[in-house]
Amino acid sequence: MEIFPRSLSETPVGKRVRIHQLESKPEVCHRLRELGFCENAIVRCVVNGEGNLICEVCNTRIGLNHSIAKEIIVSAFE
Amino acid sequence: MFREKVELSTRYIAIIGNPNAGKTTLFNALTGLRQKVGNYPGVTVEKKEGKIIFSDGCSATLLDLPGTYSLTANSPDEKVATDVLLGRTNHTPPPNFVICVVDASNLERNLYLVSQIIDYHIPVVIALNMIDVAEKSGMTISSKKLGDELGVRVIATIASKKIGVDELKKIMQSNVTASLKARQWSLPKVVKEECDELQTMLQGTQHLSEADAFHEAIQLLTSPTALSEHLDRYAPELLEHVKKDHERLDILGIDRQSVFVESRYEWIKHVCEASREIKSQSFETTSDKIDKVLTHKIFGFVIFLALMAMMFQAIFSWANAPMEWIGEGFNELEKNVTALMPPGDIRDLTVNGALAGVGAVVTFLPQIFFLFLFLGLLEDTGYMARAAFIMDRLMSKVGLHGKSFIPMLSSFACAIPGIMATRTIENRKDRLVTMLVSPLVSCSARLPVYVLMIAAFIPQQKVLGIFSLPGLTLVSMYLLGLFAALIFAWIFKKTLLKSDAPVFIMELPPYKLPSLKTIIMHTWERSYLFLKRAGTFILGVSIVLWFLATYPKTERATPAEQLQQSFAGQAGRLIEPVIKPLGFNWKIGIGLIGSLLQREVFVSTMGTIYNIKDSDTQFSNLSLRQKMHDDIDPHTGVPTFTILTAICLMVYYVLAMQCMSTVAVMHRETNSWRWPIFQISYMTALAYGTTFVVYRIGLLLTA
Ligand SMILES: Nc1nc2c(ncn2[C@@H]2O[C@H](COP(=O)(O)OP(=O)(O)OP(=O)(O)O)[C@@H](O)[C@H]2O)c(=O)[nH]1
Ligand SMILES: [Mg+2]
Repeated sequence: MEIFPRSLSETPVGKRVRIHQLESKPEVCHRLRELGFCENAIVRCVVNGEGNLICEVCNTRIGLNHSIAKEIIVSAFE
Repeated sequence: MFREKVELSTRYIAIIGNPNAGKTTLFNALTGLRQKVGNYPGVTVEKKEGKIIFSDGCSATLLDLPGTYSLTANSPDEKVATDVLLGRTNHTPPPNFVICVVDASNLERNLYLVSQIIDYHIPVVIALNMIDVAEKSGMTISSKKLGDELGVRVIATIASKKIGVDELKKIMQSNVTASLKARQWSLPKVVKEECDELQTMLQGTQHLSEADAFHEAIQLLTSPTALSEHLDRYAPELLEHVKKDHERLDILGIDRQSVFVESRYEWIKHVCEASREIKSQSFETTSDKIDKVLTHKIFGFVIFLALMAMMFQAIFSWANAPMEWIGEGFNELEKNVTALMPPGDIRDLTVNGALAGVGAVVTFLPQIFFLFLFLGLLEDTGYMARAAFIMDRLMSKVGLHGKSFIPMLSSFACAIPGIMATRTIENRKDRLVTMLVSPLVSCSARLPVYVLMIAAFIPQQKVLGIFSLPGLTLVSMYLLGLFAALIFAWIFKKTLLKSDAPVFIMELPPYKLPSLKTIIMHTWERSYLFLKRAGTFILGVSIVLWFLATYPKTERATPAEQLQQSFAGQAGRLIEPVIKPLGFNWKIGIGLIGSLLQREVFVSTMGTIYNIKDSDTQFSNLSLRQKMHDDIDPHTGVPTFTILTAICLMVYYVLAMQCMSTVAVMHRETNSWRWPIFQISYMTALAYGTTFVVYRIGLLLTA
């Protein structure tokens, strides 16, 4: 059984999840939302290496570093 | 009729849109200009104007802008775009209307900006670009339906193939209006009430327009710092009201920060559903598969290094043959001119001044060509954004983020575009750090100096069986520059410009096959600029230098003595005491002084003074590097150059800031003299100190 909610950085490659909450600084949250990472959006993890990850949101790939990915809380989608 | 034409020609049209949506490609298609295009966000960082001429002879001014995701600017380049759009700059008039370029393959995110533009009642026509990409990923978008939903005109385009451009031109000639529909996205009821109330208050007390008041109201309701920041701007009653609003919404459990963005996206979802048909949806695209390898934590790094190694291989080996041809060509030319012209000052000026100086620089055209070709390939395939992504880990060790790596890569070509590219960096301090260290990365102007020194003094030997010593030396020089840049970034970040570790968020566009036409065109343009500079600036400097190195004339002196007595020789000897500790004599001093203007001048200076010096031995067929190699001081018997001096000289050029144009750009971008002066000082001190140490160690080793 998988445990949700958890951070985006723990999402395995290929898995789709729903954004639950953003916990970064307000400016960063605002930017993330404008880029499509807003609450309830569906995100798919494309690459999740040790350092950074690439996520697909609204059909675009966005590279994020680990520290922000940790502050994006996601819940189950599939 | 006439009046109308005049009016049209003063029309101002701005192109706006998300980064990498194809704005510049469209701008080029409309104006016939050739502004730089590349497949990564943040190619355009400045506004660029162009003239568009319509079929009926009317014209208008078109403005290409940097990309932005929203009207709340996050970085200097985005601010350029939003300032123009909202009429907040004095440099350009507010545009009569805008063309909003929308990337069809990524409709949701692109419509976010559109919805903001509509809110501001800005007259707009939408270019629905990249429909080919959208089709390929399995969706069809009806521009008619989209236009109906938005209340604006939508033209489907493929800017890179000039499809839809004529239709767009036709619409541009007609009367473009703001959206015919009122604001359609709706807020939850409570939020809307508060927002409307605040908007009315703002319209009343601050005399704002409806659109401005609405946005100000949103700002006040969302921004956590709005209250403390605007203390002096608003009446206390208004601020009190805002505070109550905050409390009320917070009690209701409404997230004030997300509700506005979410509501917009809610509406966008509806618009997309109404106008887009998704036929098939593939989850893992080819780009994703490539990314799994190219951005892998180990392979990614290895591949990046391999690509760089290939670049140096190209620069060093492949460019060698064409370089020899050009060198021989110039030699032939000098020989013929010498034979044709009667002896005298005019002939000397032509052969030793102009031809030798320009020729010495032009021989490096092949290297420059390969360098730009390679960088062009990185930019147009989409790899550039991946390089930033891979390097983010390394850059975060020195306190910067991956986006700072793009200016550094651009600085391989020239520090000026590198410094301009820092405009995409959000944090002011991080941007400054990147600007301060970017000129340490070896630019194309240093390449001729390196290649000349290496070809003349580094022996052709194999190292470990596969690497050649000259090639390795060149790579070491580039690495030295990169390391110095990283180390100094770390130092500045720790001392002068302290700030938190930045967050890295960057769009990674899909890979695409590079358009050979675009790349060759761009490479050719850069090579042409290099040639033009050789034919104008270097030519002028070489002629001046010839005079300085020929006069005053001394009776019965050998050319070598003559050179020493000349103005240039005197200047070189004047600074000799300063550069002696680095192992440089007065002849190198002449080159160093000349190259204060621009680094290539060192090479042209050497070309000129070695031709003058040798002009007693009739016409010598020796190449510049041989002449430099054979140069021995007749009195002391000490050679001007040894392997050690050559290495010291290269180290000096890696680290020294010998470029007036960089100083000028730093001044413009930082709006102060403080930073450029600081930059010259630290780089010169670094160059001098390091070269001194290298020279001393070298002397010990060779003793
Ligand atoms: N397939 C396809 N590619 C396109 C189209 N329009 C532009 N491109 C490519 O998309 C990439 C980005 O184009 P640019 O014109 O540099 O984009 P921009 O919006 O000016 O980007 P920034 O200046 O970085 O904001 C380039 O590689 C273009 O060749 C199109 O309609 N179809
Ligand atoms: Mg552009």
